[in-house]
Amino acid sequence: MNLTSDRQASAAIPGSQAGSWRTVGLLAVGLAYLAATAYVAQSDLGLQNLVLVAAVFGILAISLDLVAGMLGLYSLGQGGFFGIGAYATTILANDYGWNVFALLVLVLAATGLVGVAVGAMSLRVSGLYFAITTFIFTLVLTVLATDMVNVTGGLQGLLGPAFPDFPGGLQWLGTPLVWCTMAGLFLSLALVWNVRHSPFYPVLLSIRDAEPFAEAAGARTAAIKVGVFGVSAAMAGGAGWLFSFLGVVSPGQFDWSVSLNVLVMVLIGGINTTVGPVIGAMFVSMFPNVVNINPWLQEIVYGALSILAITLLPDGVVGVAKRLLAPRVGGSAPATGIVAVDEPPPAAAILPATALPTTPPEIIVECRGIEFGYGLGPKVLRNVDLTVQRGHIHGLIGPNGSGKSTLANVISGRLTPHAGQVLVKGTRVDGMPASSRSKLGLRRTFQAAQLVKELTPTQNVMVGLFDRVPRIMGRAAFWPMLASGGRDLAAMHRRSAETLALVGAGEWTSRQVGDVPHGIEQLTQLASVCVAGPDVIVLDEPATGLSAKEVKHLATILANLKSQGVTMIIIEHQTRFLFPLCDRVTVLNAGEVILTGSADEVRADPMVRQVYLGE
Amino acid sequence: MLQFLLSGIAIGSIYGLIGMALAISFYVTRIINFAQGQLMMVTVMITAELVSSGYPVWLAAAAGLVSSCIIGILSYLIAVRPILLSNRFSFGWLVSTLGFAVIVENAAAYIWSPTSQAFPPILNNISVPIGSAVLTGQQLLAIVTAAILAAGFEIVRRYTLFGKLGMATAADPEMASAIGANTTVVAIIAFAVSAAFAGIAGLLIGPTTFANPYLGDTFGTYGFIAMMIGGGTERPIAAMFGGLVLGICAEGANGLINSQASDWFPFIVLVVILIVSPKGLFSASNPLFRPRRPAAASR
Repeated sequence: MNLTSDRQASAAIPGSQAGSWRTVGLLAVGLAYLAATAYVAQSDLGLQNLVLVAAVFGILAISLDLVAGMLGLYSLGQGGFFGIGAYATTILANDYGWNVFALLVLVLAATGLVGVAVGAMSLRVSGLYFAITTFIFTLVLTVLATDMVNVTGGLQGLLGPAFPDFPGGLQWLGTPLVWCTMAGLFLSLALVWNVRHSPFYPVLLSIRDAEPFAEAAGARTAAIKVGVFGVSAAMAGGAGWLFSFLGVVSPGQFDWSVSLNVLVMVLIGGINTTVGPVIGAMFVSMFPNVVNINPWLQEIVYGALSILAITLLPDGVVGVAKRLLAPRVGGSAPATGIVAVDEPPPAAAILPATALPTTPPEIIVECRGIEFGYGLGPKVLRNVDLTVQRGHIHGLIGPNGSGKSTLANVISGRLTPHAGQVLVKGTRVDGMPASSRSKLGLRRTFQAAQLVKELTPTQNVMVGLFDRVPRIMGRAAFWPMLASGGRDLAAMHRRSAETLALVGAGEWTSRQVGDVPHGIEQLTQLASVCVAGPDVIVLDEPATGLSAKEVKHLATILANLKSQGVTMIIIEHQTRFLFPLCDRVTVLNAGEVILTGSADEVRADPMVRQVYLGE
Repeated sequence: MLQFLLSGIAIGSIYGLIGMALAISFYVTRIINFAQGQLMMVTVMITAELVSSGYPVWLAAAAGLVSSCIIGILSYLIAVRPILLSNRFSFGWLVSTLGFAVIVENAAAYIWSPTSQAFPPILNNISVPIGSAVLTGQQLLAIVTAAILAAGFEIVRRYTLFGKLGMATAADPEMASAIGANTTVVAIIAFAVSAAFAGIAGLLIGPTTFANPYLGDTFGTYGFIAMMIGGGTERPIAAMFGGLVLGICAEGANGLINSQASDWFPFIVLVVILIVSPKGLFSASNPLFRPRRPAAASR
């Protein structure tokens, strides 16, 4: 079963020439997979058992990688979902005679729902605490399975149901369970492969690494996390369903150490890779059978090997292989993703931005009596009124700590004001999450760029297209496999690359954001905002850390945007850069508006000169 | 009732010591050492071995503790440091400390065979009546030792330069090393101290459980729960309080519900606590109860 070639094939890019190679590669991998399955289905029970266990744990590891690799949620609850699947199948099939295939549907739905519930509860905490909450979920389930002897058989466990045979004509195929398990593994691999190649993938990674960025792009991050966790739980439940046919189902097979082992599989194989988890699962589950020595020595060797693996290959087997195969950064390798596409982009792929009404001047953003304070400290914003007219560039200046960034966060939805109203295009938005404001055409950038370091600027810009692409989430599971998916993706890629070129970061599209200079990060942020064709942009210190040349360039870009009718609220300290651009300037000091006027009025005001310009 | 309370406090002190051991190494390196239970087991096994070869108990116990410290330092050097050097925020330590635990546990099972062996009773044969309850001398010793160690640790952490160095390393290792702290030495000492805490817990519980290579699994888990109940990830001493809560819950459930209840009742408690206060009962973020010095506690 040559799974590594799948990885190579999957590295191919949607595009005219690469596409046909990809088809050939995928076809070859598919055939090899089919042949391997047929071979295993005909062979002896020993090999079958080895492969089946590895495959079931492979699905389990993939389910964990889906949340751990793409969302950074290190779930230790996979063992629990796995157990629910196995016990539900065994009990309902043995004691109540339910059809096993009907049970599969039930198990997927039930574990998915439990996953959503556990996820919704655990997601109040993040990082290590998420791992611990889910760990405790598994712990409680194991204790229940052990103590509810009447239902679960206690520590002895239950004998799993038998898998139904093939109908008469198909018996030459061999063991049906092998076919079913391998199909399940294949579907799981296909699912994550698709997600990883869909435009949803950059969004997932941005939720993992730069949540405010994803939110500002319109992604309801909490809901997405819970939803993906539900899918992952359902996959683990499905693995449990398969596992129940392999023999005895007992609490020891689902306890917390299993959850930990699944994480070990993912980390050894390579986190956030498609086949890495499967390789890790093969290593961990086959190890005791392949290395046949004194059981304690064998465990010692296993422990030593896992330490060695994680120390020498911190990115896992596949992670290292990927790095070796990847073109050198800065080399002359072709830019990934921006293969030239000749066809015109399909109209349906990216929704146009909302059309501009033709009646300026009109108030587009309005703040009325905003009050805000952090915790119990003093008020940071006091009775702040701000009116921004459509098509204007509105500057926001003030000394450090005067509440500028706080006001930007209140307008864009990161913070909820204690009192007062925020209106965007006449709609009250205070109380709306940041993600909903993006749908009104309001976007923002961050003072410290919030981007996904391991993706290219182009992919980061694609995150900005999140709410301009209809059904981006639902289609992620199968999109990249369809021809239309390839076209849509190419169109989105091109739109993103074009926008990057427009802001002057065109030659950086193929590097990882982690490797680009600070100025390019800022421009990438700007591009990710512009790509969606917003009506209002809130820019939080866009010129920070830029060279004089870059600042000049930025001014040109912003002036350009203005000529296209985009309204901007710009927070900035560099008045020499800001004032020439601005139609209106508001000065904040100690949380209060001290003046709003034209740049000249502000410059001339004695109070502003005193508190801010330092004269 | 008093009996449950007192025996709960006694066993809870032991859970608390292991919880604190976990918390101390977590405090400095931000990793959970999954080999912590095994470090406790090492002390127990070495002590039992030396006593059965005829050495006096105090010498055997000291040797046991020293071996735990050495293996604790090894666990840092082999399983933790390389991982943190390559990426401070990865979860690779999970694999490596677990691997280390597997090695230590199975090496012990290989050397001593997986069956239980005799352990010196120390103070286990003495009965001390307290009101209507009776404790063994060993239980009393556990309570007193745990109290002294927990208080001592907290005093060192707060009021000595070394303790503050630990806090600085915990908050930001790069910054700490920039101002001249040798973070490696701080971490090695933290791992040695945490191994000693675990080892002492082993000496305190050994007379009851006897010496078994798989002792580390059970007590490692309980120590972990103690740390989580208490919120030891923020302040190591909170793990001790967590251990006491856990011990009292387990003993109380055993006595008042049924003899199996200690298997599941603590988990229910834990779930409830984590729903109310996800970072633990005695953590700075607990909405119900704020420690006196939240600024220091949040480090």
